[in-house]
Formats: sequence, C-alpha cells, structure tokens
Amino acid sequence: MEKLSRFILVIVAILVLSMTLPTLYWMAFEKPIKKPFVMYSCIDDDFFILRAGTPTTFEDKKGNKYTRDQYEQKLPMWNFQQLMVSGKMPDTIKGKAMDMHDIGRNRSFERYKPEDMNCPKSQLFPLFESQSGRASLELPNDYFRITWRMEFIDAGTNKILEEKSQLFSAALYHFGFTFPATRIEGLPTTRKSCDEGYLIVDSADKLFHVKLIKGKPFVKKVNLPEGLKFKHIICVDFKDKRYYAYLFSEKNEIFILTQDEYELIKFPVTEFKAENCELKLYGDLFNYNVTVDSEDHTDVIILDKEYKKVASYQESFPVLSERTEGKIFSYIFPAQLSMEDSNSKYIDFFWKGSGGMGWIILNLLLVALHFALLRRRKAVIKGHVIDLALVAVTGIYGFLAVNLFQNKFFK
Amino acid sequence: MWKSIVYKEWIKIRWFLVGFTILGMLGLGYVFLKVQRGFTFNGGTGFWYNILFMGMQFFGYFKYIPLLGGLIIGIAQYFPETVNKRIKLTFHLPLNENKVLLMMHIFGIVSLLASYLLLLLAFISLSSIYFPSQMIIESVISVFPWFLAGFAAYFFVALIVLEPVWMYRFFYALVAGFFVTIYIKSPVIAAYGPAIPGLSLLTILLSVALLFSAYRFRKGEM
Amino acid sequence: MSNVIECNNLTHYYGKKMVYENLNIHVRDGSILGLLGKNGAGKTTTINILNGFLQPRSGECLIYGENSQHLTPATKARIGFLIEGHIQYAFMNIHQIEKFYSGFYANWRPAPYWELMSKLKVSPKQKISTMSCGQRSQVALGLILAQNPDLLILDDFSMGLDPGYRRLFIDYLREYAKSENKTIFTTSHIIQDMERLIDDVLIMDYNRVLAQCPISEFMTSFKRFDFELENDKVNLKKELFVKNLEMVKNKVELYTYESKDFVEKFLENNGIVHKGFKQVKMELEDAFIGLTGKY
Repeated sequence: MEKLSRFILVIVAILVLSMTLPTLYWMAFEKPIKKPFVMYSCIDDDFFILRAGTPTTFEDKKGNKYTRDQYEQKLPMWNFQQLMVSGKMPDTIKGKAMDMHDIGRNRSFERYKPEDMNCPKSQLFPLFESQSGRASLELPNDYFRITWRMEFIDAGTNKILEEKSQLFSAALYHFGFTFPATRIEGLPTTRKSCDEGYLIVDSADKLFHVKLIKGKPFVKKVNLPEGLKFKHIICVDFKDKRYYAYLFSEKNEIFILTQDEYELIKFPVTEFKAENCELKLYGDLFNYNVTVDSEDHTDVIILDKEYKKVASYQESFPVLSERTEGKIFSYIFPAQLSMEDSNSKYIDFFWKGSGGMGWIILNLLLVALHFALLRRRKAVIKGHVIDLALVAVTGIYGFLAVNLFQNKFFK
Repeated sequence: MWKSIVYKEWIKIRWFLVGFTILGMLGLGYVFLKVQRGFTFNGGTGFWYNILFMGMQFFGYFKYIPLLGGLIIGIAQYFPETVNKRIKLTFHLPLNENKVLLMMHIFGIVSLLASYLLLLLAFISLSSIYFPSQMIIESVISVFPWFLAGFAAYFFVALIVLEPVWMYRFFYALVAGFFVTIYIKSPVIAAYGPAIPGLSLLTILLSVALLFSAYRFRKGEM
Repeated sequence: MSNVIECNNLTHYYGKKMVYENLNIHVRDGSILGLLGKNGAGKTTTINILNGFLQPRSGECLIYGENSQHLTPATKARIGFLIEGHIQYAFMNIHQIEKFYSGFYANWRPAPYWELMSKLKVSPKQKISTMSCGQRSQVALGLILAQNPDLLILDDFSMGLDPGYRRLFIDYLREYAKSENKTIFTTSHIIQDMERLIDDVLIMDYNRVLAQCPISEFMTSFKRFDFELENDKVNLKKELFVKNLEMVKNKVELYTYESKDFVEKFLENNGIVHKGFKQVKMELEDAFIGLTGKY
C-alpha cells in the first residue's frame, strides 16, 4: 500500500512539474513572432504586406518598400476613413464612383478562433421578435431550449410557457425537425441591426432557420447536400445582407448561407482546419479577403463578389519548435502538460510533445545520474527499476519526482 | 474497533465539521441573496442573460469554500495526531498500521463528503428556484472541481502533517499548492466538463497519499 | 524461561553517527528489565525500534517471536506502551479515552483504571490536556493497566512524578507484575528507586553496553574503593580491571568488578603508595554514576 501511495505521489509530482517547469521556461525565453498582415489592393490587384515591429514596414509581394502613406493609398477600402480625412480618396476605382455609404455598407469583418468552437455552449437562448415595429431590439422575458420539444421558460418565474412552447414545437415538428437540437446558433444580443433568429441543427443533422415574426413561429428547412454535417456556425449581421452565416463543415469546408434564397455557397479555401486555425473574413466593395492563420503559415485567398477565387498568397514562418528557444526546449523537456489550451476554452489535460527528440539524451543522462545516486545510497537497484524507467520516459520531471518522494523502502 | 476509531475522529473534527458546514451554508446564503437582489434589480431575464452570455458566475463567491473545508477538516483530524507524535499511540493499536490510518481517513472522507453533499444539495435546491435544469447542470459542472479541490486539499494536508521531515513538508506543500490550482482555474461556466473524469480519478488516487508519510514516520525518517 | 524480547545484533546509525553496534538484549518472561543510560545514550532509539517506529540499520528485535517492525495486531494487543512524557490523546476526557480504548482490547479491565481515576481530583468533562503532569501520567498508566497486557514497555515512566508517588507507583507496579506474571521493559534516567523495581539491569553508554545482568549480581559484583595516593601523577585509568576512576587531587574513587584483595594486591605489587583504602557501599544510583562517569 505504501508503495502504491508513493507511486501516486510521484505521478502527481510529474504532472505538476510538467505543467510548471515548461511554463516557467516559456515565460523566461519565449520571443514573440510577428505574423504578416496581408491585404489585397483593389488599385494594383495585388498583395500588400504590413510587418509590425520597430520600425513597422510596408511592402508588396516582391519586397519593395512603401511609406505608410503610399501603403494606405494602395488599400483605399481598408483605409477609406483615413483617406477621406487626408483628402486622398480617389473619386472612382475600377470605374466605380466612390460613395461613403456604399463602401460602409459593403464592408464586413468576422474573426474566428478555434476556442470559439471549443467552448461550453449555452443551451438557452432568447428568441427576439424580428418584426416588432420598434426601432431597437428588446430582450424577451423568456428563453428557449430544444430538448424533446422546443420550450420557452420565463426568466422571472422559472416556469415553462406552455402555449408558446406548443406553438413552436408544433411548427418545428411540422417541418420534420428531429428533436432534440444538437446545435443552436444565432446572435443573442440586442446590439445588432435586426434579428434573423437562429440556425438550428437537429438530431438528424438537418439545418433549420427559426425566427419569431409578429408572435408567430417562422421555420425554414434548409436543403443540404447529402452527408453534409456542420461543426461550427457563425451567424453574422452585416449591412449588405448577403448571407446569414458562415458554416464550417466536418471536412473543414467553409460555406455561407445566403439570405432569402438559403443557398449554400462553398468558399474555395483548402488550408483551413477549424481545430487550430484562426480565420479572418473581410469583405469590401470589390473582394472578399479570407485569411487563414495557422501556427506556421498565413494563407490569404481573395474572392470576387461572386465568391470566386481571384488571387492567393501564402507565407510560412518557423513554428515554435523550429526556433532557438523551441529547439532548446526539446532538449530539456520531453513534453508539456497544460490544463488550458489556446485553441479551447475548456479545461482538460492537454499534452503537447516538445517537437523534437533531443530530450532523449537528457533522459538517458538523468537515468545514469539517478543510477549513480542510488549507488551512493547503497540502494539495491532491483527495487528501483520502475523509478529508473520513469526517469527514462519522463526525463527531468521523473528525476525530480522520484527524488522528491524518495524510494526508501526497506526489505 | 470501527466504533472506537469513528468515536475518536468524531471528537476531533465534530465542531470543525459543523462550523465549516455552517460557514458553507452562510456562503451559499450570501450567493443566493445576491441572486435575489439581481432578480429584483435587473429582472430575471437580464440576470439569466448575464449568466448565459456574459460569463457571469453567480456562485463565484463559493469558489474557495470547499477548499477551506478540506483544509480545516484535514488539520483538525491530523494535527492532533502529530502533537507529541501521538500517532505512535494510533499505530500501537491492535490493528494493521495502514488499516487504522485508512479507517481514520475514510471517516474523514465520509464526513467531508456529507458536508459537501449538504452544501451541493442546498446549492441545487436554491438554484432550482431561479434557474432551469440546463443552467443548474452547467453550474454544478463548474462547482464540482471546487469540491474535488477540497478533497485534494484534505488528502494533501494528511500527507504534509504526517510527514516527519520539515524539509519534505515544504516540498510537498509546494507540489500540493500547484496541484490544487488545477481545480480552480477557469472562470468560464462548465469549462471543466472534459477534465472532470481525469481530475476525479487523480483525486481518488490521492486519497492514499498519507500512507507514504506514515510509512516514513514508522521507519524513523527524521 | 523463554525470552519475551530478544534483540539480536542491533546496529543503528543516525546518518554517520553511530548509536550502537551489535547490541543484544534479552528480556525473560516475567522479569522486569531496566534500561538505564544517560540522555542520548540510545534509550529512546531502542524503545522506538521495539515499537516499530524505527527501522534499525541492521539486526532485529523479536517480541513474542515476531519482528518488531511488523507486529501482528494480536501481538500488539499483548503489549502496553507508555510513551515518554505520558503522551495520550489529550483532546479527550477520562471517560472518552476509556471508551475509546476499551473497544480495542478483549481483556479490557476498567477497574484498575477507574480506581486510579477516582484518586485524581479532576472533573468528569475535563480534557486531559488541561490536567497536571502527574494527573496525566496516571491516566496513561491507568489505561495500560486496564489494557491488561502481558508485556509493558514503559519509556521513562517516572518523568514528572512526585518522589512519593514515584515510590508508590514502583511498589505497586512490582507487586502487580509479580502477582500476574507480567514482563516489563522500562527505561529511566532517574535511577533512584529503580532498585526496588527491576530484576535485571541494562546500562548503556554512548555506543556500547556497560552492563547487562541481574541487578543483584550487578550490585554485588560492582564495587567502589576509595583511597588516597601519595603521588597523584600515578595513572590507574589504563588498567583493564578499572571500569572508572574519579580523582580529586590525590583522593581516588576506583570502580571495578574485581575483589578487594585483587585491588589491594595490585596496588602493592606495583608499588603504588596509598593510604585509607576502603570499600564503599553503593546504591544503584551511585553504581550507575560510578559506571557511566559523572560527565
């Protein structure tokens, strides 16, 4: 029993050390990496890159340097407010007259991080009245959930609103909804231009659009290609009213769902993985700019207003494990444990390899050192085989742990 | 023999256990007083909204209370055993040394569990006045690791108090301090969902940690 | 007669500091052994090994034939153990502690405990921690008597007892042990009155055993001779038969196991001029000091 208790303590110490030591290491030695900011010019129909730093530089694809002023003029859609102030905004671009309202209405920006998908999701949502006749949206007094039916619960009394629940459940049932819902996505905020209700995925992976219009349920079943399943949906509220949402499929395809026609359109983006890539979706009068940021590269795909690919740009940079501090890390630590992960809002045991095999050398040295220490203590090596194996596998963590909780068992 | 062990442990911890449970209830009372006030001032809909979409943990005040309970019960139970090395008396009882310790420990665990269950039950009952089951489940997922932290603290206190060498007590305390933080990390509601099985398993494993210190004591480490 | 305690080749070190090497102790069934030694001579170390709170570097102690490192519960039930300083669960009162211990021992005899308790002037709900040293010692001893063990291991039981009570207790203990055939292993650094209690004596000094024999044998064979030397430069300390020698100017106290004749002859044969040669009668305490030295 006492051997078991020691073994448990050694494991606990290894866990603690594999969390704290790497954290301290990175705190001391990690250097920031500056990712390029890549935009597409509607003037030159080419890419311009901003590299933040001291000094911040502005360049084109070939590396030609520009002043900030020149750079901003190359990107009039991104910088139109600045250009208006300085009077450098062109009157027409590509034969189109430049109108402030037009530019503003066509601008859209959405940013996705993996933690937006990997996070605990609410199961209760407020269903706004989409056509209340009021200028601003009002938070309803009840919240809905979709379990074996769609239920509305009054927040003041914590009681189910039976009539409303039956009304909506019946409507969903009528459209072939399979209860319960597996995904409910919307914009549960009053700070939006208008309400478009919720996109809801049912237990049969079918997609529904549900709204509350003048006290009555509005339900629309969206036609999906066979086998298409979504892993994340981002509802948007853009002024141009072209689509309801960005939808990520299980296969990491990016779709939009157009307003009114409910047409699914796939973006020609291939390098995206929702689990570990950030996504920036920027639209303006002429183009859509899709930026996929992963650990080691930035991918920029430019689409026209018909969502067809017109240009792309890719830039790679060394991942952490290829940089000096990462290489040294891999010579010291076999792996690292964290309860938190930048790609998730969940707490879990996140193990990450050190990105190299250099630690094997240190592990073997530590095994030898531990062996020598045991010899000096005149210990019988046979009783320490598990310890030595632990040191061999977990390296510095195991070495410290077995010496903290010393194996001094007598015959 | 069970009766005698329970009797002695009960004499040691009874007032601490009762005191802690009252403290926990007062803490819960405060939490729900705030909820009541929130409902009165912002209305139920606004209060729910803050919980569902603004990341408000209405039970945040409760965070360290179970941890405190583990520390209190652990110290109340094991500190008197180490004064003048009284643990020698315990080991001299006509029982296997590990068995007698585990009997004491099980009593402590059951007592702590009883107190925690009372608190959890009160928490769920009070929550059900104001919130639907979905929100209660998420809240319970959030507070569950805090209760596990209480058990871990209890197990570590036993380990540290029984350890005969001061230097090792210090090191163990360091390990314990870091380890306990993994139970009380995220303020995101229900974020602990995926970690709960692993954390529960680790906590259960830790329950026998004290045997190591006791062994070192019995072999005369000093 | 069989041995209740048998320690064979006991060797222990604290780090590099040797406590003792190859120590052998035997305690006969029904006998009372007193382990005497100065502070730090290894008394508590021995007690700890006997009770399984210390693993010796080598060697072993057997109690009723079982290694003291892992005694079975049945054997532990036969051993009454008094911790140095009469340590008990002081957070209990005398009723609670009796109730607690009675659950463990089949042979529990509450009568001697309550008899002792009735003489204490304590209130029923008074915690042991608030009692005086003497009162606490009686609680601890009373519990051991109630346990009714076959072997009593008493670590410095006389500590904190009033002289009168100490004597009373010793007389009671001897009477009790002899009438019920109990075996006692006791240590003490107060030697006074021990003569009345013990059958066998074991005297320890740093790193070694100075004497291990029945007390009567020790008291008759260990002797003290006083005399005055003409020449105080004479060094008798090196002589093998001299166990200890205390000198103040030319006044000599010589301790030895040899006979009076032997010593007188030795002085004569070696031409050591002296006067006032006489044997001095000793109490156990004198003999103990004589054997271990004053420092």
